[in-house]
Parts: sequence; structure tokens; C-alpha cells
Amino acid sequence: MKFTLVIAVGAVVLALRIFLRGRGRSGRAPSTDDARPHRRVAFGDSLGDVGLVALREIRERVRGRIFRVGTVIILLVVAAAIVIPVIHGGKAGPQEVGVVGPADPSLEQLVQQAGARVGTAVRIVPEASARAADDAVRSGAIDLAVVDGDRVVVNAPVSADSTSTVATVAQEVAVELGIEHAYRAAELSGSQVAQLARAKPVPVQSLQASTKGTARTTSVIGLILVFLMLTQYNTWILMGVMQEKASRVVEVLLATVRPIQLLGGKVLGIGLVAMGQAAVIVVFALVLAEAVGSDLLHGTAPLVLASELVWLFLGYAFYCWVYAAAGSMAERQDQVQTLALPLSLPIIVGYVLALTTASTGNADLLFKVLAYFPPTAPFAMPVLVALGDVAWWQFLASVLISIACTVAMALVAAGIYRRAVLRSGQQVRVRDLIRRPAGSRRGTAAVPR
Amino acid sequence: MGGLLELVGLRRTFGPLTALDDLSFTVPAGHVVGFLGPNGAGKTTTMRAIFGLTDLDSGSVRWNGGPVGQAERRRFGYMPEERGLYPGMLVGEQLEYLGRLHGMSGADAGAAARTWLERLDIFDRAQSKVEALSHGNQQRVQLAAALLHAPELLVLDEPLAGLDPAGVDAIGQVLLDQARAGCCVLFSSHQLDLVEDLCEQVTIIDHGRLVVSGTVDDLASSGARRLVVRVEGDREAAWARSVPGVSVSEVAAGAARLVLADEVDSDSVLRAAMRAGRVTEFSFQRRRLSEVFREALG
Repeated sequence: MKFTLVIAVGAVVLALRIFLRGRGRSGRAPSTDDARPHRRVAFGDSLGDVGLVALREIRERVRGRIFRVGTVIILLVVAAAIVIPVIHGGKAGPQEVGVVGPADPSLEQLVQQAGARVGTAVRIVPEASARAADDAVRSGAIDLAVVDGDRVVVNAPVSADSTSTVATVAQEVAVELGIEHAYRAAELSGSQVAQLARAKPVPVQSLQASTKGTARTTSVIGLILVFLMLTQYNTWILMGVMQEKASRVVEVLLATVRPIQLLGGKVLGIGLVAMGQAAVIVVFALVLAEAVGSDLLHGTAPLVLASELVWLFLGYAFYCWVYAAAGSMAERQDQVQTLALPLSLPIIVGYVLALTTASTGNADLLFKVLAYFPPTAPFAMPVLVALGDVAWWQFLASVLISIACTVAMALVAAGIYRRAVLRSGQQVRVRDLIRRPAGSRRGTAAVPR
Repeated sequence: MGGLLELVGLRRTFGPLTALDDLSFTVPAGHVVGFLGPNGAGKTTTMRAIFGLTDLDSGSVRWNGGPVGQAERRRFGYMPEERGLYPGMLVGEQLEYLGRLHGMSGADAGAAARTWLERLDIFDRAQSKVEALSHGNQQRVQLAAALLHAPELLVLDEPLAGLDPAGVDAIGQVLLDQARAGCCVLFSSHQLDLVEDLCEQVTIIDHGRLVVSGTVDDLASSGARRLVVRVEGDREAAWARSVPGVSVSEVAAGAARLVLADEVDSDSVLRAAMRAGRVTEFSFQRRRLSEVFREALG
């Protein structure tokens, strides 16, 4: 436990150090050697203009303070989401239960069964006396003690709503011992007691599908991350396009490259940064969850995680074009805000509905429909996966719909971008882009770009 | 190097406004060509049309007799009127990036950036962000960005706007050097007289139409004769206003700039001036570009 916490803290400290070193380097006074513009690896050469544009985006984004601090914060949140339930749930290893009094196989069996019902392994530790047991509990050497079969000792007070492993084991043992005492008081025969001890609850049949709690929790964490990341990268695209237009650098760039190359490079570059960040977060989460023995990634949770990643990718691919087109229509911060709000509505609606559905475990018809609608599918579909409410072909159908709509959206966005990004002076309205000036047609001079 | 830019019958309307109206002219290599006209004449629209940054209703831009596509534009250099650089990017990296977009290797672009920053005397700012530079230095970086890849055609929209005289001289020298090296150089200005010394050839437009085009020498030495006469004690040049066939185009600091009709003898003007007082200046002058412009418009 302590060991894994040390690893988690160490990872965060290391990330911060890298961040600070990076800042130190960029803030260094220029020397003559430094002043020479750095030679870049030949990576961009082979990719052409799109690659060059993408490379610039990656470099500028990764170098930015927002990205580094944001990544560290996300990692901290993920670490907290994984580590806190483990700490809250108490020790992951076997519970050490001290037993005071003569060796009693039936008592030991009772304690073991109580542990099994709670879902934790139990190790019996014989204690010499009630005082020794108290000391051991107080020092943490054992988690709880059963004294003479008629009293349970724990360190911290236990209430009805305590959820720690120690508390639940203690309560289970206490209840079982009480029943045992009641049997004895009723003077039942040994065989009668044994029969009662074997009593099993009748099965409870639910009318709805299994809720798969762990996968659901994982899907909620994943949802929050997909929401945060999609929002962040969309904002990058929106602001990046707007700033290129506002600073007029787009005019210099479009004198050399085609609009689709510039836009494609930007989308690709930011997309690669997004996927890189997502990969770092997922690897970090997997390693940390494994190290602290979290069950957040067990069972069907990895499947949910994989579908979250697929939908983060598809969601970015879809929304990046929408936001790029919007960014090309604005050149001031206030214009961006009026554009960003309507665009973010489907994201917010999808996110809120997905969170609600993930917590209730009941997907209604509307939600199932939204899982095939590209703007909301990135949130709805992974939740359906977590709830076990979707077949593979349904998932695939939604993916294909999303890809088709993304292609269509890219074509529309490229058209809007090409027309809007060079218009300056006022906010471009959609109808300006649809309605062409009277008598205007593409001249022979403007070679198709 | 050496090339020829031809603009043939360019026409562009924005709603009711006609920005370019059947505009045609050529830019030969080896000369600094001034592209002049008042604000709103259509200079920027023309320059943007060269780079395909605005759609044309009709007309064509041709380079060495062929159409202009992306491959040709890579060999052009452009400095837009509303300067465009990434404000938060380092100067050196920005230039290298733009050089590579023009098809240079990373190493070549880096070396060219260094050369131009040194030449324009801002090498010490290579590691600064563009936004940290003064207006004049940003303009130099912008010029370096247009020159970096040794373009065959250099198009500069109002490159001298807002510069101090030293800046005007420095950029003027660079343009001249480029033209001498065989580059086609076209630059615009709305301050006609300011650039008179700088260009060897001018194209003047107004309301999207060509007004006049030719070498500065031809345009300046043609037309009516101009005399500058200074008469002591007559700061308003009242004497000249009664001389037949002479019009006063301006009076500055006591010196009258006179335009002589063809039949007027300059000796009679001198005699009229001497009658008004002591003549301290009497000289023939070339026609100014602003006068060429006004007279061409009638």
C-alpha cells in the first residue's frame, strides 16, 4: 500500500520536474549557439506540407504551459480516482483477525466465512490475552480481534454506514457471533446448528440486465476524461484557427499551402497530441491500478476503457472539423464565445445524459438512439458497453455512422474554412458563405487550390 | 533568375463595389516596380489575387506565360499589408518553418533565416517571441519571411508603412538588391511621392482601373514643365497668379511650384518674378508621381 503510494507520488513529482526543466530551458537567455534556429528532424520532410504544419502544432502545443500543467492535473485526478477507493476500502491484502481464547475451529470457520461474504481474505492470528489483542489492534498489527467469542475489538469506531473492509468484516463477524450465541441459548442440537449455518439466501432475480458496478465506475471516470479532453482539444482547434486568422498569419501561409493542407495539418497535429496524452493517461492508470490492486480495471472494465479510447478518437475526429470551421468564422475572443456555446451543447447534453445513465444503470430509448448519433455517440456508446447493453455489430454500426459523418463534416468544414478564413473585418455568417456575390464565379486566374 | 508576371483583365466585385475593373499590367524582372494608388484603389486585392487569396470574377494571373499554381507560388515571396506572423512563436523557428513550407530543407531554411536576420540587423532577436518585438523589427522579420527562400517574384503590400526613414532606406536597399539579382519586385504604397526615389517603374491604379504605367523617368520628364520660384517677401506667391498660362500647384515655405502651359516662355515668368521682388530660387523640376496621378485622372 505504502509502496504504491510512493510510486504514485514519485510519478507526479517526476512529471512536475520535467515540466519545470522544460520551462527553464525555454526561458534561458539566448547564446550565440542557441540563436541558430534548431535543425529539425527529417520527419516533416517526408510528410510534406501537412506534416510540417502538424509538426509545428505538436511542438507549440507540447511546449505550452497549459498542456503540461493540464496533463499533470489529469494524472493527479486519475491517480486519486484509482487510489482513493482502495484506501477507502482499507487494506487490499488479507485481514488479520486476532482471536483470544482456546482454539476453536468453529469460531475460526465463522470468521473465515464472514470474510468470504465480505469479499476479503482473512488470516487468523492467535492472541495470548485480551490486553495483548487490544494493543495489537491499536498498533495496527492486526485489523480486529475476537475476544472469547463474545466481543469484537476494532481501532476506529464502526457505524452502520461504515464501508471500510475492517468495518464490514467486524460487523459481519459480530452478527454471526450473535446468531451463534442465540443458537446456543435456544439449546439447538449440533446437527440443527450445522443445518442453520448452511442456510443460503434464495436467489434474487433482477428484471434488468446486470449493472456491472466496476465497469460502470470505470466508464464514469472515462466519460469525465473524454469530456475534458474533447473540450480541451476542440478549444485548441477553435482558438488556433481563430488566432491564425486574427494575426493574419493565415494569409502568409495560404500564399504557399492549400487551405485543406493547413487545416489538415492542424487537425492532425492536435489530434496526435490528444492521442499521445490519452495514451500517457491510460498507461499511467493501468500501471497505477495494477500497483495498488485497484479493481477499477478488472472484469469488463478494460473493454469499457478500450471503447472509451475508440470514441475519444472518433469524437475528436468528428468535432475537430466543426470547431475548425467555426474558428475560421471568427477573429475575436467574443466572437469565439458566441460560436462555442451552441457547438458545445451536444457535447454537454451527451455527457450529462451519459453520466446519469452510467449512475442509474438504466439506458432509456432516447439514450440508445443517441449512441448512434455522431455528436453524442462518444459519450453514449461507451456507457452502453459498460452496461452490457450493446452487441458488437451495434457498436460497429455506430462507428461506421460516425466515420461517414466525419468525412462529410470534413468536406463541409474545409469549404467553410476556405471561404471564411481570409475574410476579415467582421464575423462571417454562415449565410455569407452559402450565398455567393451576384455575378461572382471562379475566375480562370484563381487556379483551383 | 528572371521572370515575368502578367496580370490580364483582372475583375473582382464585392457586392455593389467593383474592386478590380479589367486591370492589366506586367511586372518584369530586374526592376523595382511601385504599385501605387490612393487607399481603396484595389492594390491589396490585386496582390491577393496573385497568390490566389481572393477569387476573381474574370481575368488571369500568369507567370512566365503559364498559369500560377501551388508550385509557382512556392517560389514567390509575399508580405501582406496586415502583417502575419505567429505572435507567440520564436523568430528563428518561425522563419525556419515558413522557409520549409516554401520547400526548403530544415538546414537550408535555418541558414537562410540566420543570413537574413543578420542582414536586417535583428539576429540578436532570433530567440525572441515575435510579439516581444517592436513594430519596425516585426516588419523586418516579415520581410525576412518573404525573402528567405530566394523568391523569383517578391510581392510586398505597403512594406514601408509606419517605418522611420532609416527603416525605409534599409528596406528600399534590399528591394533594389533583389531586383538587381534578377527578381521581379512589386511593392505597393499609397504615398506616391514617398516612394518616387525607390521605384524604377510604376503602375498607378485608381478604383480598380489602371491610371498610368511606365518608367519613373519617362513619367516624370513628360507632361507640362514645372518651375520652382522663390521670391523674397512674397510667401504666398501672389505675383504668379496673374501670369498668363501659369498655374500654382503648391506653395511651400515661400517657394511656389508652378506648372507652365506649353506656349509659356520661362523667361517671361522670370521677368514677372523679378518685378515682384528679389528672386532667390528659380529651377526646373521633374513631375512628381502625385502630379502624374492627378493629371492622368484629369
